[in-house]
Amino acid sequence: MATETVKLIMGIGKTLTGRLLLFDALRMSFKDVKLKRNTDCELCGDKPSIKELIDYVAFCDVQMPKVKEPELNLAEVEISPQEFRGILDSGKKLTVLDVREPFEWDIAHIPPARLTPLSQFDNFIAELNPEEDIYLYCYKGKRSITALKKLKAKGFTKLKSVAGGIDRYAQEVDPDMPRY
Amino acid sequence: MDIQLTNDEIGRYSRHLTLPQVGMAGQKKMKAARVLLIGAGGLGSPLGLYLGAAGIGHLGIMDHDTVDVSNLHRQVAHGTKDAGRPKVESIKDTITNINPLIEVTTYQERLTRDNALRIFQDYDVIVDGSDNFATRYLTNDAAFFAQKPLVYGSIFMFEGQITVFHPHGGGPCYRCLYSSPPPAALVPS
Repeated sequence: MATETVKLIMGIGKTLTGRLLLFDALRMSFKDVKLKRNTDCELCGDKPSIKELIDYVAFCDVQMPKVKEPELNLAEVEISPQEFRGILDSGKKLTVLDVREPFEWDIAHIPPARLTPLSQFDNFIAELNPEEDIYLYCYKGKRSITALKKLKAKGFTKLKSVAGGIDRYAQEVDPDMPRY
Repeated sequence: MDIQLTNDEIGRYSRHLTLPQVGMAGQKKMKAARVLLIGAGGLGSPLGLYLGAAGIGHLGIMDHDTVDVSNLHRQVAHGTKDAGRPKVESIKDTITNINPLIEVTTYQERLTRDNALRIFQDYDVIVDGSDNFATRYLTNDAAFFAQKPLVYGSIFMFEGQITVFHPHGGGPCYRCLYSSPPPAALVPS
């Protein structure tokens, strides 16, 4: 990018105007593909519709197609990290699911959790016991809610999610735990 | 062009001056140039260091953020002691330490539809080292309206893309490539 900038300024060489350079560091390969001006482009096309700057935050706030899912009252399913610690210490029989990915688990996790990444969560559902209390956590508390909804849809009822995830747990309950 | 190089500058840039493609004429163009860098993060850090060291006469750098320890492994313009400082201040110090002969203007603010055109008009080339789609579209559109070439780069994990968007110079713009942003839920943070 710096070289392209300097070339533009000095007017030397051939810049990447009209070409997209793709770089893959794992394969250590470069590819350069031709780019054409789109005559239908809303900005620089032949009949532009964008004539001035717009609201970019709204423009980029594109929602996924709506999927019907059961309504969830967060106050009913979320517990604080402190409550969660209390329940773990009570010795009650329960299941704890860490729905983060393996690389996150490797940084830190909360025993006796088992790793059930959200990306493969459907494969684990059959192994779970609906009679048992199930506690879910993730990094910040969002993915565990997604997983909780999946279980709820399968008829599970005894579900709780740790509010703020392991990140808040590390701050409020276990300051020795590494944060990432 | 009525720009001259001082003896200090001739000494500093001598390895440029001996490149036939650059020479005195090219180095004077660099001294006269005004480049605006959007972002002082993963892309902006090395960009700022290289452009500053190379002798771009006036470098504008815009970033609203402060340095976090988790930035340091890749945002190489900032040091451990800079944690908590505004990124624009930290990168300015680093660049000025490398090359005190250039001017650096900092903008510790977000690029918005209200400030973009006013700031862009003061520069010859816009360089996009931003990390989000709203800023990328805004940068693209504002560069188009201000008729400035836009050097574009983006990275994700191990992959990167680079191009120059310059519709007024015969090329496409960012919107020619990506007419609309991906759903917010699919955008990795």
